[in-house]
Amino acid sequence: MGKKKNDILQGTLALLILKTLACGKRMHGYAITGYIQRVSAQSLRVEEGSLYPALHRMEQDGWVRAEWGKTEKNRDARFYSLTARGRKQLMQEKESWRRFTAGVARVIRYA
Amino acid sequence: MRPSRLQRDLERELAYHLTERIDELQESGMTQAQAARVARRQFGNFSTQLERTRDMNINVWLEAIVRNLRFGVRALTKTPAFTVTVVLTLALGIGANSAVFSAIYAVLLRPLPFPDAGELVTLAQSQPTIPDPFVAPVRLEEWQRFNSTLQAITGYYSEDASETSGELPEKLKRALVAPRFLQVLGVAPALGRNFTPQEERFGGPNAVLISYRLWQRRFGGSPLAVGRTLRVSAFSYSVVGVMPASFHFPDSDVDLWSPSPPDAPYAQSREATWFTAIGRLKPGTSLAEARTNLAAVQFNLGRQFPKTDANKSVSIVPLKESTVGGIRRSLWLLFGSVSLLLLIACTNIAALLLSRATARQHETSIRFSLGASRGTVTAQLLTEVLILAVAGALVGLFLAAASSQVFRTLAKDLPRVDEIGLNGSIVMYSLACAVAVTLLCGVIPIGLGRTRNLTGTLARGGRAHVSGRNPVQFMMVGIQVALAAILLAGAGLLLRSFEELGHVSAGFDPLHVLTFHISNTWAEAGGKPAKQRTERILDGLRSVPGVEAAATAMSLPGVPSQYEIELKTTEGRAESEPKMLAQGRWVTPEYFAAMHIPILAGQWCRDELNVSTAMINRSFANLFLNGSAAVGRHLVQPSNPNLSPAEIRGIVGDVREMGLDREPPPTVYWCTGAMQPGTFFLLRVPGEPGSLAGTIRRKIHELEPLRSVYDLTPLTAHISDAYAENRLRTILLAFFAVTAIALAGIGLYGTLSYLVHLRRREVALRMALGALRVDVLRQFVDQGLRVAWWGCVAGLPLAAAFARMLSSMLFGVSATDVVTLGRVVFIVLAVSVMASLAPAIRASRFEPMQALREE
Repeated sequence: MGKKKNDILQGTLALLILKTLACGKRMHGYAITGYIQRVSAQSLRVEEGSLYPALHRMEQDGWVRAEWGKTEKNRDARFYSLTARGRKQLMQEKESWRRFTAGVARVIRYA
Repeated sequence: MRPSRLQRDLERELAYHLTERIDELQESGMTQAQAARVARRQFGNFSTQLERTRDMNINVWLEAIVRNLRFGVRALTKTPAFTVTVVLTLALGIGANSAVFSAIYAVLLRPLPFPDAGELVTLAQSQPTIPDPFVAPVRLEEWQRFNSTLQAITGYYSEDASETSGELPEKLKRALVAPRFLQVLGVAPALGRNFTPQEERFGGPNAVLISYRLWQRRFGGSPLAVGRTLRVSAFSYSVVGVMPASFHFPDSDVDLWSPSPPDAPYAQSREATWFTAIGRLKPGTSLAEARTNLAAVQFNLGRQFPKTDANKSVSIVPLKESTVGGIRRSLWLLFGSVSLLLLIACTNIAALLLSRATARQHETSIRFSLGASRGTVTAQLLTEVLILAVAGALVGLFLAAASSQVFRTLAKDLPRVDEIGLNGSIVMYSLACAVAVTLLCGVIPIGLGRTRNLTGTLARGGRAHVSGRNPVQFMMVGIQVALAAILLAGAGLLLRSFEELGHVSAGFDPLHVLTFHISNTWAEAGGKPAKQRTERILDGLRSVPGVEAAATAMSLPGVPSQYEIELKTTEGRAESEPKMLAQGRWVTPEYFAAMHIPILAGQWCRDELNVSTAMINRSFANLFLNGSAAVGRHLVQPSNPNLSPAEIRGIVGDVREMGLDREPPPTVYWCTGAMQPGTFFLLRVPGEPGSLAGTIRRKIHELEPLRSVYDLTPLTAHISDAYAENRLRTILLAFFAVTAIALAGIGLYGTLSYLVHLRRREVALRMALGALRVDVLRQFVDQGLRVAWWGCVAGLPLAAAFARMLSSMLFGVSATDVVTLGRVVFIVLAVSVMASLAPAIRASRFEPMQALREE
């Protein structure tokens, strides 16, 4: 698989997942990819190869909670929801993202 | 369990994702097959996906460990000097610690080498005034019969015997044992059988069990040895069995065991005590229950035999306690000291690691900035320390293995010293030490690393900078100095005690005295023949050219021994006067001449046929009998009515008869000597005592061809061996202390060197501005001295506490001896000056221009 332009920048995937789950709904992995693509107007594409490792790591860190449930089509799926710790983490990630983009913007402006 | 559930979850989850994707693709118009293919391709390799996710849970750890190890080894091989220093320091620290632990483990912790050894106890009959470690055979049999808490009770005593079936008489040590001996110990012969009841009865067949050693030596390990005959001291014994090689009871040099029949006519007196009694508790019976039970048994005996048994009680202690209890304090003392040493080594290494961490700050900062987590960096650091510690522990094990020889050389009479050696437990202990060291050494640099400002370090770009005043490094050097001061003070006090012991005025002259034993059994002891034989041998010895005096004694002066008796005079004394308690000694009249003990009043005693005579020492005369008025009075022992009253012929000078470390006790010398097992022959000779050994052997062979001469030893060697435990702990503690102060010195040297390196620019600048070299020199030496001084200040109160623990082992010096403590301070300061000089001189030799140009 060649590298595509709209692959998600390393390290921002967690921020995107957290934000996606922040609306409060339980979501499965497939829904999360769909949501991110839709909201970003197809400009961001979540690689499945990164999504699931990321989700599991976040579960281990206690940012998200996972449980099995049924989809509308009555299929078994693993649903993720945000924990209190995840919410805190989201604030931090947002903040550092803002700093990062501000920094990059400044560099672009002056360099 | 966990991984498999995780994996199932994962597979289901990914399968679901795939189905949804296929559905979506089908909706956009693909066939089922097409959609499946595309979805799979997009999804990537399904199994790789699985693995990548799963790895995080298990393999991540393993991989990280392997990676850390590899990285650690690489980092350590890049700095070989550092690595070797640390490994050697740790080898010394852990090795010495494991060595002492191996002694503690073998001697104190491990059960005695018998099955269910915890059930074994020693029994003794004690009386209010006179502790008698021995038990009368009749009483032992009664205890056995009437008690309900012990499985069995038995007893033993030993004597030296001559075995004469070979070409030359050979001296063997024989244990005479009461019935049930092997039953109590729970050991069976390796070959042959135990004694039969007939053999344990008086007049039964003579039987003997032999040691594995004797079996190998005499019979070449042949199974035919059983049934052969040995001739021991005029009697023939048939060998009924061979004991296992590991069986060393009661002593490791016992070669023969034979029954001592309790029904023998000579064993019927309730006053005749000779057995050391041991017993085995019934399973689940406590010591207290056995004590209560035996007390009741003895109380009944007291009613039955009021004259002999009313005052007696039974004391019971675990066999292990009576075997090794005496040296427990010394061993724990050594363990404490060697643990302090390990602590110093750790502090030393922590300081080194800290310097290394500072040097590697730049590297660490880069790793942080590249996304390494705090945990990763910590794990990396700990792994490095662990590699060092394990390497140190492995090298240290060689040291520990060699140490058993040291223990055997320094203190061959230490109980269970043969059992000291390397085994799995010691290896485990060493590795546990390594882990403890890792945590201890690693925590300090890591703890400090935590507070460090990363961006600050990166910003400075690794340029040399003065890192403040390094308070942590110097504090750690101070701790090392303080700990070393503790050990130095302890070693100093023990050394002073040892010295004092050598300078003590003992009241006799131990130099140029040769001592030896002549084999002899209890059956031949006592009575006129033994007395005449002794005289004949002594006369023969006197005829050897060079022998100035010849005598016998039951114990040696200057070697701890205790035989307290109560005395009365036939002339009577007022009831109000104190009881006459004194040490009793049995010597032949020339003892005083041979030992150079001066006579103060009266005349020398002679061994006369019909009259008992005695000499008393000055303390006895002054304490009980108004000094010189004592001469001519008669002494009796109330507890031994068979002895006729002995006339006091003279008063001799005080002698340290109970050991060099004890004041001379009031002593009564009975001037009579009939040799028995264990009697010492003493010869005063003009030169080196050992030089006469061959002549003496030939002379005795000529006089008594059926007896063997053994243990030809100068008196000084006996005295020195008696203080072997003392010597052991003194030498080892001194060794630990020297190592400790050396480590502290190295620590100071390392820290100062590092500081000089850091501050070279500043120093160069100052010198360029006109500072004198001597000022620079003094500055750094001062800094070293200041640290050492604070170390001393902190260490001395601790040293005083340590010395208080030692106080029972000190002799002739107080625990707060100012001279010793003064010397400790002096040594510490001297060492720190030496350690500081090299870096200080290096600093003072900086060429200002060169140092500045480096930047």
